[in-house]
Amino acid sequence: MDQFTITSKQRNVLFGFMGLGLLCMIITFLGDDMFHTRFWTNFLHNSVFFTGIAFMGLFTIAAFTTAMAGWYTLIKRIWEAYSMFLIPGLILMGIVVISVVGHLNHLYHWTDAEAVANDTILNGKSGFLNSGWYAGGTAVIVGLWVFFAWKMRSISLDEDKNGTTAYTHHKQYRIWAAAFLPIAGFSSAAVIWQWIMSLDAHWYSTLFAWYAGASWFVSSIALTIILITYLKSKGYLEKVTQEHLHDLGKFLFAFSIFWTYLWFSQYMLIWYGNVGEETVYFQQRQEDYPVLFYGNLLLNFIAPFFVLMRNDTKRKYGTMVFASIVVLFGHWWDFFQMIKPGARITAMEAMAHHGGDHGAHEAGHSAMEFAMGYSLPGLLEIGTMLGFLALFLFVVLNQLAKAPLVPKNDPYLEESLHHHVELHGDDGH
Amino acid sequence: MSKENKEVLYGLYDDEEYLLKAVDQAKAEHLEISEVFTPFPVHGLDPKLGLAESRLHIAGFVYGALGTLTAFLFMTWVFTRDWPIIFGGKPYFSAPAFIPITFELTVLFAAVGMVVSFYIVCGLGPGVVNKTLDDRITDDKFCIAFDVTGAEPTFIDKVKGFLSQSGASEVNTKSI
Repeated sequence: MDQFTITSKQRNVLFGFMGLGLLCMIITFLGDDMFHTRFWTNFLHNSVFFTGIAFMGLFTIAAFTTAMAGWYTLIKRIWEAYSMFLIPGLILMGIVVISVVGHLNHLYHWTDAEAVANDTILNGKSGFLNSGWYAGGTAVIVGLWVFFAWKMRSISLDEDKNGTTAYTHHKQYRIWAAAFLPIAGFSSAAVIWQWIMSLDAHWYSTLFAWYAGASWFVSSIALTIILITYLKSKGYLEKVTQEHLHDLGKFLFAFSIFWTYLWFSQYMLIWYGNVGEETVYFQQRQEDYPVLFYGNLLLNFIAPFFVLMRNDTKRKYGTMVFASIVVLFGHWWDFFQMIKPGARITAMEAMAHHGGDHGAHEAGHSAMEFAMGYSLPGLLEIGTMLGFLALFLFVVLNQLAKAPLVPKNDPYLEESLHHHVELHGDDGH
Repeated sequence: MSKENKEVLYGLYDDEEYLLKAVDQAKAEHLEISEVFTPFPVHGLDPKLGLAESRLHIAGFVYGALGTLTAFLFMTWVFTRDWPIIFGGKPYFSAPAFIPITFELTVLFAAVGMVVSFYIVCGLGPGVVNKTLDDRITDDKFCIAFDVTGAEPTFIDKVKGFLSQSGASEVNTKSI
């Protein structure tokens, strides 16, 4: 079947999960502290995570097109559909921006004008860490991504209808793809600094954007493997074979290791350098959030490394889906671990300062107590994540239904149809 | 390598498509192929010939694991027992500092170990001269070889017939 149609059952299930997510968010909001920190960190966490996956869908197409890769043409439509989630992503991040600029929460220490005035470090960073940059940067950068996603999607869809063997569409597509790569590289770093790294406003790491970006990329590949397997089980994408799965598996494996490499490089340099204002980031996480800290490595390095190392595991749908679920959850966990501790301290300091909460807390000096939703993702976090995932899949499936799954006039289609990587195996399906 | 000369009857094909078809045909006619030579890896040839998957990667894993253990245990011994020195105020046993060298030695052991194993298994090495049936099998010809040492003339004729009929552009005999 070349044309995907979304069934009412799929729609109902997705709406059900979206409802669950909404319910979890409402419960979180009602049972929260005075700044609704748990609610807003969850909102930020999932918005950043799924917007990042959408961005990586677009980035992957741009990178593969520029590299003249041919194998992925049969699954190109899936990443195009991902990139269309950038529009809801812009809205979600817009809500975060409004809440931050409007002081509806205390996620970021640098939004507190009084604190910035009395703090040399924050004062020095205030040229970048300010409401104007946060709002403008998010709007311009994600807006630019949306523009590229829309432009490249429309060229690709037009190629289906009016494509010729002169391949003018593809030539145009390649120019847009190549132009997007440097923009994507620099702009994604800038939003990662703003959205995530500035939660620990005193701290910085030059590797952070790469590390968070690798997390997005691995999540995007993992979700693609799950989605392809699902679509194949429904009778779609019958031309996508184990050979394509194998290549996706290599990407999942290689970039899991790449992520680990960046994670460790960041960790080891800070640990060895032993500069107090840098080590505090890891000190907090290792001492107060050990399950988050070590679980991160278990889920995102140990598990994929040993499961995906062998050749044949990358060719089995069951194993690949299992590994993908572990890794997708693992990188969601990774973002949780990046976001929660910093935002929690900021909110605690703000509460102590505003005198609203009894028992002023000297943040950063005494050990953090266990708190569900911060020390570990609780059921409400899982529910919220499922809601956002359902929203993401709803948008993606609707976009898939808008166009044939096989881009029939793509010059690389033939190469993708005959893709064969395994020397020893026979033609597997 | 072998002490005694072998009589080899072989056919050269111009394209891997002919080769793959010929292999199928030989199987159908119950002719036992002794070797196939190709200038590059041909997809789908190994299962047709019934060759087992290479175990080189298992050896690679073992070498790699050996490298990991060697590096980590050696550094641990040096810095905690043999010659303890404090670096930058860190404890003697500082696992994160050992990781880069452990990684490097894992790669080194796996890579060198696999190359050496491969050379030994293939009978290659510095100064070793291996006879080839035809130099063109390392360039653009695909070859199916039959061992016909001491075979009946009728069998030789049958194999010759099969080779030329299945599309071989040349059929030769060589004593090797």
